[in-house]
Amino acid sequence: MFKLNLKIILRSIWKNKISSFINVIGLAIGLAACLMLLIYVMYEWNFDKQSKDSANVHVVMTNVLDDKGKIFVTFNGSTTAFAPLIKREIPEVQYISRMDYGNMGLIANGINGFKKKSKFAESDILKMYDYHFISGDPKTALTDPRSVILTESTAKTLFGTTDVLNKTVKYQEKENLKITGVIQDLPENSSNRFDYLMPWSFYEIIDEGAKDLNWSNYSFITLVSLRPDANLDLVNKKIDELVKRNNKQISQPNFLFPLSKMHLYGKFEEGKSVGGDIEQIWLFTALAIGILLIACINFMNMATAKSEKRAKEVGIKKTIGANRRSLIVQFLAESMVLTLISVIIAIVLIESFIPVFNNLLNIEMSIPYFNSYIWLGLLSVVLLTGLIAGSYPAFYLSSFNPTQSLKRNVEGKGFFSFSLRKVLVIGQFCFTIILIISTLVIYKQIQFIKNKPVGFDVNALVEMPQDGQLIEKFELLKTRLLKSGAVTTMYQSSVNLSHHGSNFTGLEWQGMPQPENKVMFNRVGTTYDYISTNGIKLISGRDFNKKYASDSSAVMVSASAVKVMGLKKPVGEIIKMFDANFTIIGVFDDYIWDSPYQSNSPMVVYFNKVGTGAITMRLNASNNLQQNIETITSITKEINPSYPVEIKFMNSIYAEKLTKEKTLGILSNLFGGLAIFISCLGLFGLISYSAEQRTKEFGIRKVLGASVASLMQLLSLSFIKMILIATVLAAPIAYYIMIKWLDNFEFHTTIPWWIIVLSAVGTIAISLLTVSYKAYRTAKSNPINALKYE
Amino acid sequence: MIELKNIEKYYANKGVKSYILRHVTTSIKQGEFVSIMGPSGAGKSTLLNILGMLEEPTYGQYEFMGEDVVSLNERKRIELYRNHIGFVFQAYHLIDEMTVAENIEAPLLYKKVPGSERRSRIADMLDRFNMVAKSDLFPNQLSGGQQQLVGIARALVAQPSIILADEPTGNLQSAQALQIMELFKKLNEEEGITIVQVTHSEVNAAYGSRILHLLDGVIKEDVTVSQTV
Repeated sequence: MFKLNLKIILRSIWKNKISSFINVIGLAIGLAACLMLLIYVMYEWNFDKQSKDSANVHVVMTNVLDDKGKIFVTFNGSTTAFAPLIKREIPEVQYISRMDYGNMGLIANGINGFKKKSKFAESDILKMYDYHFISGDPKTALTDPRSVILTESTAKTLFGTTDVLNKTVKYQEKENLKITGVIQDLPENSSNRFDYLMPWSFYEIIDEGAKDLNWSNYSFITLVSLRPDANLDLVNKKIDELVKRNNKQISQPNFLFPLSKMHLYGKFEEGKSVGGDIEQIWLFTALAIGILLIACINFMNMATAKSEKRAKEVGIKKTIGANRRSLIVQFLAESMVLTLISVIIAIVLIESFIPVFNNLLNIEMSIPYFNSYIWLGLLSVVLLTGLIAGSYPAFYLSSFNPTQSLKRNVEGKGFFSFSLRKVLVIGQFCFTIILIISTLVIYKQIQFIKNKPVGFDVNALVEMPQDGQLIEKFELLKTRLLKSGAVTTMYQSSVNLSHHGSNFTGLEWQGMPQPENKVMFNRVGTTYDYISTNGIKLISGRDFNKKYASDSSAVMVSASAVKVMGLKKPVGEIIKMFDANFTIIGVFDDYIWDSPYQSNSPMVVYFNKVGTGAITMRLNASNNLQQNIETITSITKEINPSYPVEIKFMNSIYAEKLTKEKTLGILSNLFGGLAIFISCLGLFGLISYSAEQRTKEFGIRKVLGASVASLMQLLSLSFIKMILIATVLAAPIAYYIMIKWLDNFEFHTTIPWWIIVLSAVGTIAISLLTVSYKAYRTAKSNPINALKYE
Repeated sequence: MIELKNIEKYYANKGVKSYILRHVTTSIKQGEFVSIMGPSGAGKSTLLNILGMLEEPTYGQYEFMGEDVVSLNERKRIELYRNHIGFVFQAYHLIDEMTVAENIEAPLLYKKVPGSERRSRIADMLDRFNMVAKSDLFPNQLSGGQQQLVGIARALVAQPSIILADEPTGNLQSAQALQIMELFKKLNEEEGITIVQVTHSEVNAAYGSRILHLLDGVIKEDVTVSQTV
């Protein structure tokens, strides 16, 4: 019985090739898209959750208070004195480790040097993270100050093998470190990634800031692992009291926050987590479910539409002795088989597209075949879709009286299922139109930010890190590069032109409204040729100049800084920072250096010979670009041989600032497109069905003299009406959602009426095209073909 | 075998009853070959459907093999279909996705006949209707007459005691119709299967042993056919 049923199912799938194809492919694409998104969601969701005890690991957060005692920013930095104190005083603390934020540092095997991500940490980190040691002993790996743990790929890059225990590498050209362990590469979705890990005790040797136990330098991360039975609120209370007791002058309250939540809930307002990337996760989950729903609706619509045709079969089977149960089983099995085929195709689709997807989003994901949840989820999707799609014919049709179904009384028109189907189609297109409008708005916002002037000429501007010999031999480099003709002008500065952070509050000026300034200013230390190189617009005054010896205590300030300070005639005014006086010699226009979506802090650029870190160069436009880069590379390499030369183009640095929104754009484009495609597939299937059902009616109408156009209209009109209704419903929803989204950005575009009209007209045009092909074919066919069968 | 007492069937529409069948009382004995005749709209098919329990009468008594079946539950009714009743339709009503052999096999599957016996009965049927070569074809590859033969084979394979046929030759050419009627006659005479058919044709009716003339839902005439044809 089962075998025969299966055979018949496969035969009927084959017989109705087009509708089966629409069914299976639509569902497969939907499933693939949904699973792909869910894999992405899982990737994000599992951020920092890989290690066994990740739930107990917390990161120390600091609330920064303003002069009224209100929390105005919360960040994950902490001081060096914090960790030893709470380890001593709070019994719930199991492990604790101070770390730095991580840097790109040179690590070399002999003359083979590479810049890799370094990290310093105390040895407790090995107990918090269960790193998988390929060689070495986790108990002793970080005991000796001059030791280092490499990741597998770092070991392979440096030595070509992972068998490197006890060999020596050179750190930053100076220090020899013994390799005490090789661990498997860290997962991409981890906040504390590194290519090599060094002991905190070594950090204390080479960095004054790390050695000095103080309560004022917040440049470090502290990870705390609590005992499993610890109460976080209680611990936080204890910490608050403890810090206040030990640190009388400065009171920036600290608290612990679960590390596994940092990535997704990392947005803080007044010291409380108010979400973060989790919003994007919900968005993608909704998108995944929406797409799957569209595909399932298709599947169900097609299955139910076809099932009406099969009422006859039900009637026959009943008269030859089939009972309801056997019919229900047959219909359910049939839709399960179709769903199963779709799942297989979906997995093939994902496998072939996941590299493209990874590439687009710049991440590393794969199908977690060994994750039982995935299989469980997949199985329930199959069962659920198959069940829902098959249940209508299974339970409804099988209940019919055989004469009714044999007489074909089970017509679709005016029938409950048909109006339900209408509702489903409207819902489907509603979702699709919302996606189209969102895609257009996101695109427009990205364009808006992209086209917003950054405040200087990003083209032909390059930068490189100021490492090793370049710090001391900067003047030599400058002379040689200028002489070579590859560079027209260049400067060194404490931070890159586009940077994050470097904010401070202790700025004083004459006529301050309050005795203590709490406004965050941004600072850049540099020497000569700052303005002339980057081309930022000077509003008044001048750039630093060698002619004026007094420039060693001079600053330039941004226009917004002048506004904040309320200076009428800024040039010549004296401001005070770090206990030194500086004279304002110039005012420059604000430019974008941090987030392009909001106004950046006011900025001061001060003269500072030791402010090194980045070199910015304006390339000579009369030369070939390639040639310029080659010249710079060879001269730099000559001066600073142990470091690789890393030249970055300013325009690509600024383009990277849009990555997150671009990702969103790509995803909504991709999945919006898929949604349209699947919806139209469904529409095509439905209209084919409807045309087939009305063949006789059309034949009669043609015999009576109806024109092709009027028949096409007859067939298409009801579908077009549905899409119009969907548009009317979708437009305000999409408008509302996108207005909310745009509100996240200080600088944002508007939603013009034409976007809504465009998406409505576009959707109607596409669906009209889909519908009219079938309608035309039906209307053109010879009436006798239609009337013959009765 | 079949006892009908005062069967009525009507549809009430806005308080007006439109009668399909009125006061139909008759009995059909085991081994009879009955033809139901009458003009269009006389209620022939409705009567046959009531006999086949595909429709319920509005009023009246119906006993099938001594059992009251007017409001039989679905499970019992299906039992009757499986064991006692075979249907033959004007439009053949074969299952398009099944081959000839599979169509014939279907009732046996529902009846849960074991595999070996199924095979022998199918082989028997195919043999009897000269369709061995066509056993793997699909219905749409056969002529109308051949399809109706399959339909009859399907009705017979479960070894029913009665065959209900609704204009079995209505869609066939006269030569094919003749063949089908000969077959019915043979089944009736040699195997003692009760046959009730609805027909328009005097010729077809003449194959049977008895004719019920229906007019406007009422049995006008109940004649026994003299076996002279």
